[in-house]
Amino acid sequence: MNKSTDQRDQWMLIKGKRARRLLVLTVFMMAGLLYSGSAFAQQEVQGTVVDAQSGETLPSVNIRVQGSDTRGTVSDLNGSFNITLQAGENVLVFSYVGYTTQEVNVEGQQELTVQLEQSVGELDELVVIGYGAVRKRDVTGAVSQVSSEEIGDYTTFNAEQSLQGKVSGVQITSTSGAPGADAAVRIRGVGTFNDSSPIYVVDGVILDDISFLNPSDIESIEVLKDASATAIYGSRGANGVILIQTRTGEGLEAGNTLVSVSVESGIQQLEQQIDLLNGRQFAIIANEIRPGSYNNVDAVPNTNWQDQIFDIAPMQNHQISVSGATENSDYYISLGYFQQSGIIDKSEYERLNLKINNNYNISDNVKLGNNITISPYRQRVAPNVTFAAYRAQPLAEPYYEDGSFGVVQNVGNPLASLEYSNNYNRGARIVGNVFGEFTIANDFLLRSSFGTDAALNRAENFTPAFTIFNPDGTESQQNNEYSDLFKGETLNYNLLWENTLNYTKDFDKHNINAVVGLTMQQIKSEILELSGQNVIRNGDDFWYIQPSYIIDEANNINTLSSVSNRVDANQYFNMMSYLGRLVYSYDDKYTATLTLRRDGSSKFSEENRWGTFPSVAFGWNLDREAFMEEITWLDNMKLRGSWGMIGNEKITYYDRFSRVDAGLLAVFGNPDATFNAATYGKSGNPDLKWETTTQTDIGLEVGMLGRRLTGEFDFYNRVTDDILIELATPGHLGNGQGQRVRYNAASVLNRGIEFRLNWEDYLGDELSYGITILGNTIHNEVQDIGGNSEVDDELIGGALANGQRVTRSVVGRPIGSFYGYKTDGIFQNQSELDSYPSMSLAGVGDLRFVDTNEDGQINGDDRTYIGSPIPDFVYGFSFDLAYKNWDMSVSFQGQYGNELFNGKNVVRPDPYNFEQHVWNRWTGEGTSNSEPRPSYGGYNFLPSDRFIQDGSYLRLRSVNLGYSLPSTLMTKVNMTRARIYVKANNLFTWTDYTGYTPEIGSGDVLSNGIDTGIYPIPRVISIGINTTF
Amino acid sequence: MKIQKTVIITIVLIVLAGCEDFLSVSPQGELTQEAFPTTREDALQTTNAVYTTLRNWHYHSGGFPILDIMSDDAHKGSNPNDAANTVGPYDDFTHTPTQDGLDRWWNALYEGIKRANVVLERVEPIAMDQQLKSRYLAEASFLRGLYYFDLVRAWGGVPMVTSVEADFEVPRSSAGEIYDLIEQDLLFAIDNLPVKSAYGPNDLGRATKGAAQALLAKVYLFQQDFAGAEQYAMQVINSGEYGLEPDFYDANGPGGEHGIESVLEVGAVETAGTNNGGNQYANTQGVRGTPNRGWGFNRPSVDLREAFGANDPRQDATIIELGEVIDGIEILGDGTTPDEMTDENGFLQIESYNQKVWIPGTSTDTQFGHNRRIIRYADVLLMAAEALNENDKPGEALTYLNQVRERARQDNPDILPDITETNKDALRDLIIEERRVELALEGHRYWDLVRTGKAPKVLGPYGFEEGKHERLPIPQSEIDLSQGSLTQNENW
Repeated sequence: MNKSTDQRDQWMLIKGKRARRLLVLTVFMMAGLLYSGSAFAQQEVQGTVVDAQSGETLPSVNIRVQGSDTRGTVSDLNGSFNITLQAGENVLVFSYVGYTTQEVNVEGQQELTVQLEQSVGELDELVVIGYGAVRKRDVTGAVSQVSSEEIGDYTTFNAEQSLQGKVSGVQITSTSGAPGADAAVRIRGVGTFNDSSPIYVVDGVILDDISFLNPSDIESIEVLKDASATAIYGSRGANGVILIQTRTGEGLEAGNTLVSVSVESGIQQLEQQIDLLNGRQFAIIANEIRPGSYNNVDAVPNTNWQDQIFDIAPMQNHQISVSGATENSDYYISLGYFQQSGIIDKSEYERLNLKINNNYNISDNVKLGNNITISPYRQRVAPNVTFAAYRAQPLAEPYYEDGSFGVVQNVGNPLASLEYSNNYNRGARIVGNVFGEFTIANDFLLRSSFGTDAALNRAENFTPAFTIFNPDGTESQQNNEYSDLFKGETLNYNLLWENTLNYTKDFDKHNINAVVGLTMQQIKSEILELSGQNVIRNGDDFWYIQPSYIIDEANNINTLSSVSNRVDANQYFNMMSYLGRLVYSYDDKYTATLTLRRDGSSKFSEENRWGTFPSVAFGWNLDREAFMEEITWLDNMKLRGSWGMIGNEKITYYDRFSRVDAGLLAVFGNPDATFNAATYGKSGNPDLKWETTTQTDIGLEVGMLGRRLTGEFDFYNRVTDDILIELATPGHLGNGQGQRVRYNAASVLNRGIEFRLNWEDYLGDELSYGITILGNTIHNEVQDIGGNSEVDDELIGGALANGQRVTRSVVGRPIGSFYGYKTDGIFQNQSELDSYPSMSLAGVGDLRFVDTNEDGQINGDDRTYIGSPIPDFVYGFSFDLAYKNWDMSVSFQGQYGNELFNGKNVVRPDPYNFEQHVWNRWTGEGTSNSEPRPSYGGYNFLPSDRFIQDGSYLRLRSVNLGYSLPSTLMTKVNMTRARIYVKANNLFTWTDYTGYTPEIGSGDVLSNGIDTGIYPIPRVISIGINTTF
Repeated sequence: MKIQKTVIITIVLIVLAGCEDFLSVSPQGELTQEAFPTTREDALQTTNAVYTTLRNWHYHSGGFPILDIMSDDAHKGSNPNDAANTVGPYDDFTHTPTQDGLDRWWNALYEGIKRANVVLERVEPIAMDQQLKSRYLAEASFLRGLYYFDLVRAWGGVPMVTSVEADFEVPRSSAGEIYDLIEQDLLFAIDNLPVKSAYGPNDLGRATKGAAQALLAKVYLFQQDFAGAEQYAMQVINSGEYGLEPDFYDANGPGGEHGIESVLEVGAVETAGTNNGGNQYANTQGVRGTPNRGWGFNRPSVDLREAFGANDPRQDATIIELGEVIDGIEILGDGTTPDEMTDENGFLQIESYNQKVWIPGTSTDTQFGHNRRIIRYADVLLMAAEALNENDKPGEALTYLNQVRERARQDNPDILPDITETNKDALRDLIIEERRVELALEGHRYWDLVRTGKAPKVLGPYGFEEGKHERLPIPQSEIDLSQGSLTQNENW
């Protein structure tokens, strides 16, 4: 990893600019404390601050007196300053965004000109772009950087969640608020019908997820968005690449040791309850549906099930790290612990992180190193009781008088479900690599790296035998006759061997940065599952599959019921790639990048195995042109454009094979006995080939007003063709109920603009602030489905709990558009009912469905497109402030223009509780034209736009307030820095959606935005301290 | 120097690494279809697989015994709210082309057909004992015929698929063409299948010559080909392979599994889960509540109770009433289901369950062990009686009809007297009525009403519309997938 000197000094602190200033402050204060100069009389100093290269004056430069916490000034619009120094003050510290901080001894001077050098960190800073690094000014692709400080805003086990609202073009949606749950990450829209997740490259190891990584170990994150940036990852990069560098001891001075300790603990609570009917209201409605259901609605029970299942839960996040360097080596060692209890009982996530990064300089031209993370974890998963609590009638009571669980009709008692559920995942992941770098003939660097991601997960579920009784003492449906024990073990390993040869050379104005390489990756997995029944004791000491303990001799039940051993079809393939990239720049003005990667994947048959993915890109640093020099307020300006093709193959390894379905059983004989049976499973498709994404990007980067205002704008157009898609096949093919076959048979377009604007400045000498606004638009459109495969031209998805599917993806519309009836008010009276087309099921007071095809009748053909789960606009903005030792940041994040399908409200085979809006029901002509007469289910609950809700929201995602202890105090206790902070996440959400959260993600792009009873994302308030010494 | 060596070795390794074998990954733990079936053992397993569809939950009319629910013998059952909008509509004929269950049944039947086609096409070339191979092919033919028979009865003409590889778009054949295929398959099966007694005890449940003859008789009956029906029903009767269980309860109960009355029976073991050898058919209909044997769908109607003649012992053996004690177990039923209620269509319903799927025990798991009888000898006798009557042989018809009544009578001379009616129309009605009480809740009644034209009159009060409800609608999902090559049934 290459970094400028500027950055090295700030090793332990975070890369953000505000932090940089903090550091300057801190260093400055310490210097002041150490300083003991001789006394001088009062002295007035005046001068001008200019850019060392251009000579232009610099306004608003921060000028501080070394040794003082509070004294200083700022240069004016002409770059002039004036300060009166006290006796003993003779060093001024000049700092300015984008320039190297400079200390000037002004002893005896009255007038001076201070020349500030543009800091290397900005445009000459090296940006890691995969298999090498280039100077920022030479970057031709759309690359967004996120500092580790921004990651720290949000307390989470998984760094990906902390990117939400921080990177333009990136949409991150939680799929659940359960501890340890994944988020759905989408870069520049949904580009495929398959897994649309980006890949992660952590210290050079290519991975599918980063849940093993402690966010505190992250040095920097770079999000590669366009084809120029991702092409070097070829087939792996179609949905974007997230590059992560973890911290090292590189750059520390030999002999130095930095120790950092941070402790954080917080509490979580439900952000808001869903407004449901109370017991009395429900009884009144029930009496309207079935007269006489409840005699006295004022004397019915009233249970708020949400109160019953949600609780306040703790969360903690601690780490200690030590880093340092010796003459020829450096190290970073850290230990982290993260623990989050769920706001629902029996859900928890706990993880330990051990991190060791080392570099060894064996000789002048040989360097060896390693990056290793070991993370054991334990996750406890609660059953989905949020859905049960949503549905449970308020008239049911949680417990009987004797304290036993009360029966809750139709949904089961959520508290009993929790009580009897024991689901654990325990495991460990080891991710890391060892590498060697050999410098050959000065300009060549040969690097060979061997990496691995080995994971072992053990799932363990135990349900004791139990019965919930009806009030009359009979058994209810909620029971378990024999205890059940399940163990599932998944072993994954991923080996990656990468060999690259880099060449960098400057001749005069020519700058060449080239790389060629060969990589091989092998991914294997194995699953072993056992289950048994009737375990001898309920306690966890007996949760082992021992045949002698799980046989019920009395009933002669052999309860070792199943054994399964197989591979995980998504994690079993080999891949080989040749890659090459040439970055050429001339006079720091023009840069061209050519990239080519050739990938071979075992997922395709020999004829279709290899795919070649090229990309070209150009960058033009306009600010280096002579004609731009006149424009003094403009500091830098770059125009860039790229085009490229990238592949995708996120399918199971065996989709191309037509497999035999073995392990079926036929039963013959007297007595009945099972016999093995095997036959053809669903047909495979041997013609599968690479899915290809073609992306064009035009970008503009500007820095102005002394780089206080920086901006980045991109337009992207991304078309994915030959999408590998599973299509339903006609039943007569005999593939069986619910089986789907994969084809290269769809195209999707994503187009949009992205922007990020950042303003940073000082107000006076003690106050600095920054504002960031970013956002992107998404235009998502299916361009083709079915292709020439003669199968369906629409994809039906979004299965609700009753199997009803409410999304369709068709040409001309966004992926996963909601599909159902359009409503047009309510039949107010019989004559209205008679005069409009209606279903035979409809009555007065019911919804009026629109006869969209105008054939005079209402049936399935009248269903139409009633919304899209894909937002038009995703945005974030944040504000930060540092005043003296205080710092504060507030960040918001939101999206606009998407719809949600309130699926939890639709599936009603049984009488469930209702959302509050039902209270405003139709009760007679003119009483309501939107809320129909009440019913437990049926006609009014057919999927229609009644269940479509606006999914736009704005969330106050994080508020941070920190105080850094004064350096005087720090020195006394021999510490560099100590910051105490209080932090709030998900404090408030502005939305019209009537669910726990408008953030409804799904791993399945066809089922996005459907709320089927999500585990709510909690509000978190925490306090913590970061110390460095 | 050491460094240079390392570099050279690395480069050599890189070059060596470039071998293509690295990218060949075969399915793990799974055979591909090119490599199967190739051996005698494969042939057996492939043939066995055609039978597994018989236990597929989706095979039983899409999971639920909806055809009894559509008849006057049964209501939806279960708790009034359970599946009220998914299964409920079949009870009052408000089901639609998107109704839950239709696509499941359609897909399961075609999956069975594909499995049969695998045997017919891919076992044929295997070098093995010719006689055994012929039997396997005949078993597959028989089952293919059975699956197509369900399709043609339920939907009329359907896409005809007779090969493992089929086109995506196959228009509907006519019902006649499907019936021709069924006849052809069953005739081949009759020629090549052994009689039941020729099978060893471990092979009971496999297709037999008698089962094929009985099914063919039924197929002819559905086409009003009474000569054909008589011919094949009589072949079963004259084979000497079958008889009636002395105790009516054993005709469907565990005591008569693969017994003398069993013509076509689906074996199942007493284990939860279709994948483990159980059959959820019985669990779906099993007693709900206490004891908890299942979901309690397919509730016997009051009309069915009234159809049983006074003191007909078959009523008690068909319907589990609340409070009844069976095999020492008291039936308390479901606490949340009203013991009696008048449903939305105005019919009195009494909480009760289908005793024909009863398996002694109190657990849910054991309920999966019910062996469903698809054809039993009493059905064959009544088919013979019906065909003989239509063929103007009332005397012979009465012989077989009265054999069924005699067994039902259980040596009680005061009940179920022999029938002596010889008027063709009157006797037809009596035979259909006898079928109703003898075969109640076994999935015959709706078909019988439709094929004899009695459905509009009998089922009209339940919502049956003539010209529409004789067939189910083709699942909307199939029409959607067919790119216009599948047309919907009339009036749907």
